[in-house]
Amino acid sequence: MSTHPAHAALPLLYVRSRALPLTAATLAGIALVAAWAADWLQDQPYFDHTARVPVVVLAPLLASSAIGTGLHSHSDELDRTAVRRWWPLRLVHLLALTAVTAGVLAAAVPGHPEEFGVPAMVRNVLGATGVAAASAALIGARLSWLPMTVYGGAVYLAAPRDPGGAAAVWAWPMQPGPQGAAWAVAVTAYAAGAALLVVRGARPERG
Amino acid sequence: MSGTEAVNTVEVRALTVRHRRTTALDAVDLDFAPGVHGLLGPNGAGKTSLIRVLATVAAPSGGRVELLGSEVGAGSDHRSRAAVRRRLGYLPQEFGYYPGFTVREFVSYVAWLKEMDAAAVPAAVERVVARVGLADRIDARVKTLSGGMVRRVGIAQAIVNSPDLLLLDEPTAGLDPEQRVEFRALIRELGRSTTVIVSTHLVEDVAAACTDVTLIEAGRIAYRSTTRELTELGGTGDGGAEQPDGNPIERGYTAALRAHRAGVANR
Repeated sequence: MSTHPAHAALPLLYVRSRALPLTAATLAGIALVAAWAADWLQDQPYFDHTARVPVVVLAPLLASSAIGTGLHSHSDELDRTAVRRWWPLRLVHLLALTAVTAGVLAAAVPGHPEEFGVPAMVRNVLGATGVAAASAALIGARLSWLPMTVYGGAVYLAAPRDPGGAAAVWAWPMQPGPQGAAWAVAVTAYAAGAALLVVRGARPERG
Repeated sequence: MSGTEAVNTVEVRALTVRHRRTTALDAVDLDFAPGVHGLLGPNGAGKTSLIRVLATVAAPSGGRVELLGSEVGAGSDHRSRAAVRRRLGYLPQEFGYYPGFTVREFVSYVAWLKEMDAAAVPAAVERVVARVGLADRIDARVKTLSGGMVRRVGIAQAIVNSPDLLLLDEPTAGLDPEQRVEFRALIRELGRSTTVIVSTHLVEDVAAACTDVTLIEAGRIAYRSTTRELTELGGTGDGGAEQPDGNPIERGYTAALRAHRAGVANR
């Protein structure tokens, strides 16, 4: 009996080649943990909704790491002989994962949009995913988690308590939702990272 | 040697490839027509750089590359490269595979990349997998196969689209002697209608399968001839200290390399 993939299923081989089911499961796990952590932090008597900062910073960072490393191709040399154009696949791949991630992580931090709620989470997903995409294009997918992790960690430790000012730019992941400058940086990072990845693809890696 | 100009499927003029400060290929001119052609040379000679340019995965630094009637050198557009890739098969020196894929799925994936007619893919995949002797392992995961079998999967994906130009980089690496013999028979058969270029450091592969040989040394063409002429260059092996050990074609290879190096040194 033939077990050949049906005609319509051939594109699903691309989905599996990039381990997208594993990435989706990882994102779902991150979202569940983020929802639990945000809820737990809010319920502590000595915290309030502003205590969700760790969740709003760390969950997008972890999710972007999963997205970035999932861009690795085990067969880059053969992929480069493809007749079909890669840029539409890369674009759909990145946009779909970004949309899913923003959606599920936003659901983890309901309420208080003026502080560390849905807007801040969506902004951080965009910024972190943009940095991961750019990193995949420049240093390779398997190390794409590193720059955002180093940057996010440094910002988490060094950002001033009061939002705004210059910190709205360099410490954009730590800003409350409505902060315009932080949004500008995150959206720019996403657009630049996505453009780099879509045009160049992930940097080839050995092994 | 490689046919007339009219039937050349590969025409390379002044091809130059540079990697940072290293010149991998230096103004190389080459023509290939249907048949099996061997690329020989020491490690680092530029064989893989040449194969990668011909496979359209690397852009040359300079020169003109025309494959199957389309220009694919620096500055060529996607349409030209796509036209060639549809008729191109390529086995890289190191090809990765997706851990969860079966043989059938991996070869199907490459067929999908080549934009083959989806309705024709199942039969094409089964045909090429049978041709490399893996019909009974077609639904086994690639990661469960031995190194030699994985290499044969690589050959299967390279011929799934019935290519007019087949590029094989160290194709017999990891194959046992029996598999090597079978593989040489396969490429001799393919070479009747296809231009097959085999890059290898195994002189015996060239002797057994190729009609002609191009020797590359330090990014330049050191020697081109038929395989028979290279073998004759090796002489009878009784030439005393000047004749290295080995079979005639190995001696011919060494003699050609030495002659080229002496010529370069005298310039």
